[in-house]
Amino acid sequence: MLSSILSTGFAIGAIYALIAVTYNVMFSASRVMSFTAGQVGMLGGVFGAWFILRLHLPIVVGFPLTLLACAGIGVLTEIVAVRPVIAGLEKHLYVLSTLALALMMQQFTAIEWSTEPQPFPRIVGRGFGLDEKFWLPLLACAAVILGLELLYRRTLVGRAFLAIAEDNYAASALGLPVRDLRMASFALAGAIAGLAGFAGGELLLASIANGPMLNFYGFVPVALGGLGNNRGAIAGGLLLGLFQQAANFLVGGVLVSVAVFSAFIVVLMAAPQGLFGAPPTRRV
Amino acid sequence: MLITRRGAMLASAATLVGAAPLARPALAQSGPILIGWLAALTGPSSAPAIGFDRGVKFAVEEINTAGGVKGRRIEIVTRDTQGDPTKAVNAAQDMISRQKVNAIWGPTNSGEALATTAVMARAKMPNIHPCVVDSLIDPAKYPNAFRVAPSNGQWDAAVRNYCENVLKVKDVAVVGDTTGYGASAVAASVAAFRKEGANVAYQTQIDATQPDVTPDMLRMRNAGAKVIVVWSVSTGMEARLMNVRAALGWDVPIVGHPALGSGDVRQLLENERNWEKVYMIGYASCSYDANGKLPPRTAAFVARLAGKVALDDTSLWWVASGYDAVKLVAEAVDATGSSASDAIIGYWNSLRAYPGIFGAYTWTPEQHNGFPTSEVVMSQANSQKDGAFKLAPGYA
Repeated sequence: MLSSILSTGFAIGAIYALIAVTYNVMFSASRVMSFTAGQVGMLGGVFGAWFILRLHLPIVVGFPLTLLACAGIGVLTEIVAVRPVIAGLEKHLYVLSTLALALMMQQFTAIEWSTEPQPFPRIVGRGFGLDEKFWLPLLACAAVILGLELLYRRTLVGRAFLAIAEDNYAASALGLPVRDLRMASFALAGAIAGLAGFAGGELLLASIANGPMLNFYGFVPVALGGLGNNRGAIAGGLLLGLFQQAANFLVGGVLVSVAVFSAFIVVLMAAPQGLFGAPPTRRV
Repeated sequence: MLITRRGAMLASAATLVGAAPLARPALAQSGPILIGWLAALTGPSSAPAIGFDRGVKFAVEEINTAGGVKGRRIEIVTRDTQGDPTKAVNAAQDMISRQKVNAIWGPTNSGEALATTAVMARAKMPNIHPCVVDSLIDPAKYPNAFRVAPSNGQWDAAVRNYCENVLKVKDVAVVGDTTGYGASAVAASVAAFRKEGANVAYQTQIDATQPDVTPDMLRMRNAGAKVIVVWSVSTGMEARLMNVRAALGWDVPIVGHPALGSGDVRQLLENERNWEKVYMIGYASCSYDANGKLPPRTAAFVARLAGKVALDDTSLWWVASGYDAVKLVAEAVDATGSSASDAIIGYWNSLRAYPGIFGAYTWTPEQHNGFPTSEVVMSQANSQKDGAFKLAPGYA
């Protein structure tokens, strides 16, 4: 029981964490909560299965193509669902536009791919004592943490991302190409979501049903960890995965989601800014 | 008298409605027999309608080639509803009001049928459908609606019969998904098992996206379940149950919904052996016996289909049922000499063990569930060949 809670809990938690990071990366660049994050995660699994199992491309080709396709969908999200409404951010029209785009992705995939879950290929073929479907999501999660840390701390582009996340208008006044950086952020977010879906494909299968599920459970770590806080999102995601799998063992059935969201509400009541978020400050 | 615009419009509408029945017989009784076909041919859940459609086209070709019905050709008015209840209602309304069809076949999923049944009842439109939700058939409310496939209740009875009388087990675990269908099917199944004195050792609903069902399987095993009854169309969840059963080394039979035999399940199994001891709802007319033979009437039908209708990517019962639906309309017109709705409905109400390909249908004015429960059997889920399955162990 404990080994199952740890292996499945950490694996699914790592996928939630990556979707939460996707939300954060898009939010940092645009102040928009794009509800396409989970759908792009779902597409990571679908593209992976399509390229490798249906088109018979080698994994070394199918994997980067999956990331590229998901990055492209990230850019499409920025152009179609974010840019037109960003001027009226306070009206929250992005909720409607990103949800509409997410719904379109879901329907299009249902028609062109399948409404039934489809198999996902074995990637490595070796377990190292633990089946690869459990450690691949963790490896992907570690790679993203490391990559983002390097990007944000060691590169000029990363610092520019941080600049527009900190103050969009000031960054624009300093001559930073805000729109291009926002598009790049959405491409990066798309690739991260695609990686989540690809790494979790063996666990979740290539199924359209994963889209709404990832949208939903991927958002919980964002709130738990504090909006825009990637480290908090990672910790929140892993905790959520562990808690959910423990609830599967302890209560099971429809009570699992009740337990998860009860705990979520209790945490938010105790710490409204999230477990890892800073309390709101006000300039005086 | 004061003439208002509203009054004039109401009077015009009343005149049109009143005149319609007068004009219709003259046109309707001499031209082709029009059968509306509400088919979800594209979009999610289109597989059944594609199978039904093959049977429909084959029946029409066969009847028209033989000279039609009393010299009248059969014409099918097909509308692709895409599985969308709104589109199905609009299409049904169009068939009734504009196309003036003589009968409607379909829709073929319960979600659409729940929306269209009342519309067709208001128009007294003869309607045959294969949808399983029990409430869709009610001769008092919907005297025009007839079912050519088993209801949920009949499926449930067949599963209970197999568990209790063939497998001889009394300790059952009942599992469904978290959809409305899963919840209602589990509740109905549990109540019926308990009523018959069986011990429902465990019942649960599992989210179809739950990646690991080990906790649920362990709870079933620890509760002492000797058979797992599954009510779900989620092939992913079903395959996971089978994979975990194998991983736990648990030799428990899995019995239930026809989706257990779907080709999608095969793709998701970690090993084909995991599909053994899985028994799904099937139909005697479309099952191979121990010698690998179909019943004679079905075998003759399959021989006629050879080279004309593909069966390797669909279910034989879908094709057979689509064929039967057209034949039932044609037989009604042939027997009564009329394509009026009263004549067709009256004829269907008088049918006793009509020898269709899919089943021997019996309808009375009080009972419009026409498919005999005795023909609902269990099949080996891993035995699909040309759209038909082998009978599960225990059938003579």
